[in-house]
Amino acid sequence: MVDAALLAQHAVNALMLGIMYALVAVGFTLFFGVLDVIKFSHGDVLTVGAFTGLTVWLALVAVDLATPWLAVALLVLVPALATALLGALIGRFVVLPLKGAPPLNVLLATLMCGTILREAIRLFYPGGANPKPFPALLPTTAYQLGNLNLRLDSVLLFLTGVAIVVALHLVINRTRLGLAIRAVAQDAEIARVMGIDHVRTVLITFAIGSALAAVAGIMHGLYYNEINFSMGLLLGVIGFSSAVVGGLGNVYGAILGGFLFAFLQTLGAMAMPFASAYRDVFAFAVVIAIMAVRPTGLIAERGVERA
Amino acid sequence: MSALLRLEGVRAAYGHADVLVDVSLTVEEGRIVCLLGANGAGKTTLIRCVLGLTLLRGGRIFYADHEITHLPTHRRVALGIGCIPEGRRVFPKLTVEENLLAGAYQERSWTRIREQLERVYTVFPRLAERRGQLAGTLSGGEQAMLSIGRGLMRRPRLLLVDEPSLGLSPLLVRENFRVLEEIHGSGVTIFLVEQNVRQTLRIAHYGYVLAGGRLVASGTPEVLRADPALQAAYFGSATA
Repeated sequence: MVDAALLAQHAVNALMLGIMYALVAVGFTLFFGVLDVIKFSHGDVLTVGAFTGLTVWLALVAVDLATPWLAVALLVLVPALATALLGALIGRFVVLPLKGAPPLNVLLATLMCGTILREAIRLFYPGGANPKPFPALLPTTAYQLGNLNLRLDSVLLFLTGVAIVVALHLVINRTRLGLAIRAVAQDAEIARVMGIDHVRTVLITFAIGSALAAVAGIMHGLYYNEINFSMGLLLGVIGFSSAVVGGLGNVYGAILGGFLFAFLQTLGAMAMPFASAYRDVFAFAVVIAIMAVRPTGLIAERGVERA
Repeated sequence: MSALLRLEGVRAAYGHADVLVDVSLTVEEGRIVCLLGANGAGKTTLIRCVLGLTLLRGGRIFYADHEITHLPTHRRVALGIGCIPEGRRVFPKLTVEENLLAGAYQERSWTRIREQLERVYTVFPRLAERRGQLAGTLSGGEQAMLSIGRGLMRRPRLLLVDEPSLGLSPLLVRENFRVLEEIHGSGVTIFLVEQNVRQTLRIAHYGYVLAGGRLVASGTPEVLRADPALQAAYFGSATA
């Protein structure tokens, strides 16, 4: 019999991981939506976001301005803007010039781009080869709810993630920009004929997706209080898998996929407490099984009309 | 009358295959000008060249005295070029109203967008009934209406219409031609690509015939009806 308190703790952890994975997965699905490309540098863009956050923190400490709330605000905003710019630059100078090339070329080019970012951090960031401690900036007040020990920082992180997902939903469904993104995703050529600036829409989408990755990276740092140069590698693969299992191109599928993956990992860790390192093996195995049964993902985005 | 659209020696190719060879034509403001030709004659490619979706291998395109040969598509739309594309191409997962709003993407004034919405809904009351429905779930005829309505949202000065009757029932085809005449009556210049020769020549003021990527005939409907080149363009030359 599993202890109820332990079960609840696992559930909280799964929700935390789920929202981070969802933020990464949404990026993959947005990029695929507007341009039909897989941008494999996404995970490393996340790492750049996390290290930008750490740098901001160190700078704030150096100038003695490190009050927690100001720090948190800047630690989210500056990396988000930095990666938004980075994502748009990769889009402009790596992905768009390959338009018309086989998709495999885009995949390779972005994979290499990601490797460059990752290795650049390892080599050029001071002590970049080692894990870096990330400050715990959020209040860690713990609440005892029955058996459940709930920490305020977790709650804040989770709510922030949810708020960002809701904001993204509103942007996509209620704004002129969102209309352009959806139109480009459904029929890029006709979207141009309607007067939508294709390049601009694609680059803004890349910027938004990349900013979300930075937020996920910062959340990861604040939650685990540690970041390292290769953190984006696994997070990228997980985010990509989540997007695929949810149905590539569908934002809600990506969110669903992110939470699904987190719950599978947690389930794996619970089922095999003696070897929790196998949780990823378990989660990926289940994802492969799901893909075998539903090749278009849980929420199929494409192929319905074309069938 | 002045030329609203002018093509000079336009050449286009896919890979090594020439699709358009030295095409020069003029669409005068205020007219319905048609482009006739069999499948594969290059009609749709010509429309794509005007829109900037296919790049030219040679020649130049002018619109209202601007050279637009190298302008990206959205900037051409900003100048007043609208399009009702071949195959309707509505956005299947946008609602009817969102499709119309996409058509008015460059219009910043909400008042004018609402006016245009009302106008389209008056012409096509069926679209008003279905405004919240996903366009992919509409019937073919309704999608045709939506595609036309969407093309009108920006109040284009020149409307490119590509094969509007393709795949529609005879009744809807007649309805389509009636709507095109109405649009023209509201002051829009129309460049119409069609395979339906008889109905097209009934409403057009001037026409061009394309065969194998070259213009083989042009003239008023009366002239074209009598021109053996028109027959040849569709059924192959009798001497070949």
